[in-house]
Amino acid sequence: MKALRALVTAEAHIFVRDKASMTFTFLFPLLFIVIFGYLMGGVGTAEGAKVGLYVAPKVAAARLEAAVAEVGVADVVRIAAIPDLEKAIKDRKVDFGAEWDGTTLRFVYDVRRTQENFTFQELARGISARFELANQGRRAILDVRSVVEGGEARADWFTLVVPGILAFSILSAGLFAVAGHVTSMKQRRLVERLVVTPMRPVALLAAVVIVRLAVVFVSTLVTLSVAILLFHVPFHVNWFLYAVFLIAATLGTMGLGTILSLLVKQPSSASNLANVFSMLMLFLSGIYFPIEIMPAVLRELSLILPLRHMADVMRYVTGVMDMSALRFWVICGVFLAVGVGLLPILSRYVVRVDRR
Amino acid sequence: MNGILHLARTQLVTALRERITLFWFLIFPVFLLALMGFIFTNVGKTQDLTFEVTIVNLDRGTRGGSFGASVVETFRELATSSAPGHPSLFRLHEPEAGNDPHGYLADEIAALRIGKRAAVIVIPEDFSESLYAAAAGPKSADAPATLVTVHTSGGRTSSEMALGVIEQVVARVDQEILAKLGLFDAARAVTVDQQLIGAESQTFAYIDFLVPGVVVMGFFVAGLFSVPGTILFGRESRVLRRYWVTPLSVPRFLVGFSLGHLALCGVQFACVWILGRFAFGAHVKLFQPLAIAYLVLAIVTFLAIGFLVAALARTPGAGMAIANIINMPLMFLGGLFFPTGAMPPALRAIMLTNPVTYIADGLRASVGVSPSAYGHAASIGVPLAWILGCAVVAAFRLKWDVGR
Repeated sequence: MKALRALVTAEAHIFVRDKASMTFTFLFPLLFIVIFGYLMGGVGTAEGAKVGLYVAPKVAAARLEAAVAEVGVADVVRIAAIPDLEKAIKDRKVDFGAEWDGTTLRFVYDVRRTQENFTFQELARGISARFELANQGRRAILDVRSVVEGGEARADWFTLVVPGILAFSILSAGLFAVAGHVTSMKQRRLVERLVVTPMRPVALLAAVVIVRLAVVFVSTLVTLSVAILLFHVPFHVNWFLYAVFLIAATLGTMGLGTILSLLVKQPSSASNLANVFSMLMLFLSGIYFPIEIMPAVLRELSLILPLRHMADVMRYVTGVMDMSALRFWVICGVFLAVGVGLLPILSRYVVRVDRR
Repeated sequence: MNGILHLARTQLVTALRERITLFWFLIFPVFLLALMGFIFTNVGKTQDLTFEVTIVNLDRGTRGGSFGASVVETFRELATSSAPGHPSLFRLHEPEAGNDPHGYLADEIAALRIGKRAAVIVIPEDFSESLYAAAAGPKSADAPATLVTVHTSGGRTSSEMALGVIEQVVARVDQEILAKLGLFDAARAVTVDQQLIGAESQTFAYIDFLVPGVVVMGFFVAGLFSVPGTILFGRESRVLRRYWVTPLSVPRFLVGFSLGHLALCGVQFACVWILGRFAFGAHVKLFQPLAIAYLVLAIVTFLAIGFLVAALARTPGAGMAIANIINMPLMFLGGLFFPTGAMPPALRAIMLTNPVTYIADGLRASVGVSPSAYGHAASIGVPLAWILGCAVVAAFRLKWDVGR
């Protein structure tokens, strides 16, 4: 027990002194959250959209204004001339514009805002449908009432991204604990010195696991707190499930790190492989871009990527998205089985002397 | 001269032989362009997506018939594939005859919550009566609409997308009903059109915006990571020391290294451009003097930033950490993939001092993708100032050998 405590202390010191690990674990998710929170917060929602409205002189504006107000945009800015409207759109003072000259209703978009124009066009369709009917003195006799079942009704793009980043933090911490830290110890022949002491390899692994679990808890909590305090993401965290998932996922991703480490000849190559593997997963697992807007082949591919399931579970435990209890426990169980099942292999890998 | 060319060749060949370098400098930009090209040239289109949608018709109907059945029929049509091999928009789930619709609805909502359905549409019991009443009611704008309830699952993009499509279908059905009842005159319909601004060319496509962005990203990553990588690892593993015992001087090493880096960027540019041009049909004209000048400026600027990182870091690990910290803010705040908009003063300050912002802006303006936001003087001046600043710091701080 004393040896384990000493190993845990040593591991903690190594982690804190390792600038690269500290950067990736703490600073990277925070930077991402802050930059994307300010750049992309509100993307994909009507509530954040600002519409510029130009109505030609001597043309009634009341019906159009009413139609715009009905679709529920954040703000409507009246603009006196078409060039001013275009300038406001280009300068992003408004998100899109509507011009009404009495016969034609023209919606104006900034072509460069590809990722947002879909939402603006949806809003424009709603505005034109209401305006069309109002122009004939009618309202829609048929409409849609939307009811959100489970999950977070106010979830915008950023709300979905934050749990994804948390999942990625866990993946990185687990993968690099083995395919970075342990392999680097092997490379520097530190493990060889340790295994000739009475220390059991499993004690070293336990120390790595304990420190990584603590790091994952702290780093995800810091990121979560920043997202909630700074950007008011509507999370309702189930702390019990959160803790269960963190333990299972950290162990599971350490197991994946073990597999990657066994795939390469040189221990130092393991971190490179883990880097490539995690970066590809980051883009293909629905962290940045929703899986639904990807081509069919990539949607299918995402099903076999652990990060996709980790992100889904993180969204579930933060209350963003609903999931069946069975799926949650199956995912946690698989990660736990992979982690625990591969520990003996990792243990053998640690004590295996590399050929020189 | 021969020594310089040998060094340049070594630099290029080493980069191409190293699988990890090959991935980050060639495969990753190409992968990113392909992924974003696929996604954002089709954004908003349901493409090959089929939504799992349940429809439960509780409408009792009236003596005149059932509007609820007409709505269901419209959705059934959309659930039928329009052409062989082309997936239908919806896969429709309905209660079977004899099933308790309320029990079925409860089961389907449970399925919706866990993501097995994208939406559940419920046509209420008094749907037809209510529609007749609304249609026959006062023509004033205050008459309440009859509501079709659409249940969606929170936090799921597929559910949001399905809702958007269902709203469009319902709006179309609404107009058809009004027209049938003689309450809507299609001849008096307002003409609706759209205009896209923000690009100099009327044939703008997102891929034309993306290709210069990915090219600049590739150069940025190459400069930021390969220079500290080569210098700091070379210094620590004492490879550089071996150079210094030969007649090779530091300036000649720098020229050779830079030429090799230029060649690597050339290969990278070719890969991205070929993919953008032939796979995604990008029309961006990068082979013109001003654009080439911007590309060279980009390579030199990022090379200089790489030297700055190498000068500031003591160890390769620290160099990689600094490069990683700089990488993300400068890349995302430089508007490489999407235009940047309103942001708080601190981020705006980073954006306005970020050389990536000016290079991307100048390059896009030079090829006619979008008008320059800062003008060519700033787009060239700011990166030049960075080159000068980095060169000065590197000249004073960069150590070319361990212990020196």
